[in-house]
Amino acid sequence: MSSKSNIKDKPQKPEDIFDPNNNSAIIIKDLVKQFEDVTAVNGLNLEIKKGELFGLLGPNGAGKTTTINVLCGLLKPTKGTAIVGGYDVRKNLKKVKELIGVCPQEPAVFKFLNARENIELFGNLHAMPKKKIKERTDKLLELLDLTEASKRKTKGYSGGMRRKLNMIIALISDPEIAFLDEPTVGMDPRVRRSTWEFIGSLKNQNKTVILTTHYIEEAEALSDRVGIIDYGELIALGSPKELMEKYESKNLEEVFMKITGRRIVEGI
Amino acid sequence: MNLQRIMALVKMELKKLIREPAYLFLMLLFPAVLTLAFGIAFGDPALGMDFSVLTPGLISYACIFIIMTVAMSFTEQREQGLLKRINVTPMTSGEFIGSHMISNMFIAILQVVIVLVMALFFGFRPLSDVVGFILAFLIIALFSLCSVGLGLITATIAKSAGAATGISFIFILPQMFFGTFIPITDTTRIIAMFLPSYYVVDALASIFGGAPLTSENLLIDFGVISIVSVAIIIIGIQLFKKYGNK
Repeated sequence: MSSKSNIKDKPQKPEDIFDPNNNSAIIIKDLVKQFEDVTAVNGLNLEIKKGELFGLLGPNGAGKTTTINVLCGLLKPTKGTAIVGGYDVRKNLKKVKELIGVCPQEPAVFKFLNARENIELFGNLHAMPKKKIKERTDKLLELLDLTEASKRKTKGYSGGMRRKLNMIIALISDPEIAFLDEPTVGMDPRVRRSTWEFIGSLKNQNKTVILTTHYIEEAEALSDRVGIIDYGELIALGSPKELMEKYESKNLEEVFMKITGRRIVEGI
Repeated sequence: MNLQRIMALVKMELKKLIREPAYLFLMLLFPAVLTLAFGIAFGDPALGMDFSVLTPGLISYACIFIIMTVAMSFTEQREQGLLKRINVTPMTSGEFIGSHMISNMFIAILQVVIVLVMALFFGFRPLSDVVGFILAFLIIALFSLCSVGLGLITATIAKSAGAATGISFIFILPQMFFGTFIPITDTTRIIAMFLPSYYVVDALASIFGGAPLTSENLLIDFGVISIVSVAIIIIGIQLFKKYGNK
């Protein structure tokens, strides 16, 4: 859990938080997000370390996407604090946006552009040097096996191809912190496996990845630590192994069931 | 303001204009077809219609349709999650709206060129000099801002791209009937004076008719267009930022 000393109003430089004494990429303190009479996130406290692949697991409607949307500035918190890369999302959102890459749950791509044009557009929106945009585009297209289709308009892409492109756009700026919101939903098992490998490789580059998923297998395979969230509250936190040991369970689905008496997939 | 970001979105908007048939038709083919149709129907002076009188109206009528394309574009991007996606990049809202203003000004100027060139074939003979033409382009560029602003207001109200098309006619029809190429009577003039297109047509008619560029009438038209366009774009931006970008 976060300590008060980790939350600074004016660290205002990434190095202030990414230093050896403060290894947190994200600090969430007493976060509440209400939509009229619905409380989507209810007093969430969480600290995610730099270079960690953190899985946010929970059924649909648990508050995972709302949490991500608060962290990337799309939603204003009702109460509480969210610090991303050392910057308070309420006070220094512009700096937060320079550090993050967001892969939304539903693929958001311009259909009249081809994959390369889509990626380059977002590279330009991050004001990256042209040479770096080209290099990163080539590399990411290759890694996700989209090079051949990259000059075709995305209108004709399959769902899986669009999801891959969705992720490449999120990562074009080589972000320090990547939010991947249900990145593999709707992918066939083969493509999902290769995407897992790709997501896993981000960890080797010391990137912080926040992965929301309702796939138990995905959370278990990829995450260093998992936060299980239900009705907007964090109900369990730890590495998949720790949680399974603590709750004497075979998998995280069972962990969730032992805590809540329900299955994660019931909410899907 | 980062020019790289602005130009990237301008380039994207212009690619959309070329690649999306609906936008291509509304923005470039429609003014051409309209001028052609009016040219064939009223190009003969023996019919009693002077094509020189119609041309300023046709130019502003084409520009009014920017309301619809801007509203469609913003609602489509909102529906497809693209506005949110752009929102999580470092692009500021000023850069985002600025890119739309630039791309639509460019389109409006293209429309003027299309209508003017085609009108020449049907006997339109403007009496203005180069400075007059520059002023005409400037007036249309300003008027395009007004259309972008009305498009943003439409996109704020509309829940979908389909609804945006329908709602945009609230702003298009009055300007079409009371301020462009349809002759104005003393009664309709009272309504027309509340519409920006009336001043655009009046100013263009003065310029192409060879009136001095410092004439009081032209200066009043220019002043009204400038103030109204700036006011409407500011209202549009504020409304869309507050209620439309959700």
